[in-house]
Amino acid sequence: MKEVKLKNIFVQGAIAASFIADSIQKHSSKTGIGGHSIFLGQVRADEIKGKKVTAIEYTSYEEMALPKMHEIREAIFEKYELTCMHVYHSLGKVQAGEICLFVFTSAPHRKAAIEACAELVERIKAELPVWGAELFEDNTHQWKLNQ
Amino acid sequence: MKTRVLLFGQLAEITGSKELEMEGCADTAALLSILHEQFPVLAQSKYVVAVNQEMISGNKNLPENSIVALLPPFSGG
Repeated sequence: MKEVKLKNIFVQGAIAASFIADSIQKHSSKTGIGGHSIFLGQVRADEIKGKKVTAIEYTSYEEMALPKMHEIREAIFEKYELTCMHVYHSLGKVQAGEICLFVFTSAPHRKAAIEACAELVERIKAELPVWGAELFEDNTHQWKLNQ
Repeated sequence: MKTRVLLFGQLAEITGSKELEMEGCADTAALLSILHEQFPVLAQSKYVVAVNQEMISGNKNLPENSIVALLPPFSGG
């Protein structure tokens, strides 16, 4: 079996705006890039039956999620002319208003970056074994359902 | 013959455990029928099954020391 080093996409807790800024800054040396596309998922304070969501707590089956993410990454690189691609997903507790998903694609031209980013987000939400529990103010919770 | 069973999300709450160890299950059908009997709510829950990190459909033989994971609908992002 071919040994592939899997990139770890998971970070504990929220993704800081400063981390995202640094990530953008790092690309200034890659002068073949003409366009970036960024998707940021943010925890929404939904109100469900009069109770407000204060945070989402994420768990994952990482032994399955990381190989799956590798497969998605390869397929996207195959399909679009990209320079690079970065994906970060939170695990553990992320408060409402904080960032829980950061998808960043860069390409010589905007179309590839935009389309690849959109497809990545959809595939991440549909195919990665990750679960979010929506935590309420009164310490109860319910399991999130993706739309 | 031992099988490790991993439960995620709401399924871990139903069984009260994120991990179970089961003895003598030759295939996934046998394993699931024992689990469903023990945890009737599990039988009504939506989930997919992975054996050794590979998603399966239908029944699958379980070699010694298999890891069976029960995965409720994904809700990442």
